[in-house]
Amino acid sequence: MAPKYKLTYFDVRARGEPTRLLFAAAGVEYEDVRITFDQWPAHKDSTPMGVLPILEVDGITLSQSMSIARFIARETGLDGKTRLERAQADAFVDELEELIPKMAGVVVFAKDEKDKEEKSKELDKLIAERLGKCEKLSGSDGHLVGNSLLWCDLVLFNIAHNIEEVYKAGTMQDYPKLTKVCDTVKANPRIAKWMAERPAGMFDF
Amino acid sequence: MAPKYRLVYFNLRARAEPTRLVFAAAGVDYEDVRIQRDEWPGLKPNTPMGQLPVLEVGGVTICQSMAIARYVAKETGLAGKTILEQAQADMLVDGLDDLRGKQAVIRKAPEDRKEQCKKELADFAPDFLSKYEKLCGPQGHLVGDSLTWADLVFYDVTSKVLAVLPGALDDLPKLSKVMDTVTANERIAKWLAKRPDTPH
Repeated sequence: MAPKYKLTYFDVRARGEPTRLLFAAAGVEYEDVRITFDQWPAHKDSTPMGVLPILEVDGITLSQSMSIARFIARETGLDGKTRLERAQADAFVDELEELIPKMAGVVVFAKDEKDKEEKSKELDKLIAERLGKCEKLSGSDGHLVGNSLLWCDLVLFNIAHNIEEVYKAGTMQDYPKLTKVCDTVKANPRIAKWMAERPAGMFDF
Repeated sequence: MAPKYRLVYFNLRARAEPTRLVFAAAGVDYEDVRIQRDEWPGLKPNTPMGQLPVLEVGGVTICQSMAIARYVAKETGLAGKTILEQAQADMLVDGLDDLRGKQAVIRKAPEDRKEQCKKELADFAPDFLSKYEKLCGPQGHLVGDSLTWADLVFYDVTSKVLAVLPGALDDLPKLSKVMDTVTANERIAKWLAKRPDTPH
């Protein structure tokens, strides 16, 4: 029987990975469809908003990466234990999510060295601002909110992984509580298994 | 007894108005605190992320305007009837931020850039709104068959767009119906009539 959920995105982590991490953490099966840039033009008009990722479930197609992730978090019980916790998790995600496209602008899409340098300066400021705020508000026991793994921890982890492994290693050491959140995610056996098995992707982002 | 919810923002519609519209539609009492600009520096360090709006409830302070609006929508039953409907409402609200941004930038632009910004909105809006027309429900609601916060956010953003592009919803009957449904809602009509008049 086909899995209940079908996620379609490009063959990268970026905006699709938080949802993939959620499926992994929850141990829930899904179709992880990865398309190439060549295949994209044919798909584009059939998507709700002309962008990826999309999630197909029960005959409905959802778009907007964070709405999709929040939906899967809700379906799998990883969105927060109370309405207030869910709102607090939402607030962390809202604060963090701009880091992915801004980082992509530097590590994937920069036109030349000069462009890369200018964008890096802006990105460093943005990282300091956003991670600084999240560090202040984060819980101290390895979770941003409450006392168990939530989707906001996975959104942070996806970003922090790219910051450390792709953009600028050593950045996260200024954020000990956030580092503890990421270590907790990494130590989760299902996440560790996914990270070992996940496709490398068409590029490392 | 003090209301359960306390919303703090500047005396503007801007990023707090979606939440105010949800409270209004739900008929739920709240403290609608509007601070002066010179009060802000003193308040800022006491906010979670140094920004407004914030919502205080049950000893907890929530920030991020859309997280607040979604929370109040959930509390008042205006988030969507099923989890899937809630996700559809979320996605439509997320997408609206692009339209909001293109409109908001006009006000902030220097005089010699305003026309260019208006042109960018005029170029962006038709394609964007036609996608929303396709996704919109037929009964005067973006999602499902009853009012959700997505309708209210759509109303809030689109009324500002219509001020710049009066014909933006021509030939978009389903979206026009959403606007009419929102303004015909008694509680919303009452709020729109009595809310403070602010520059934006």
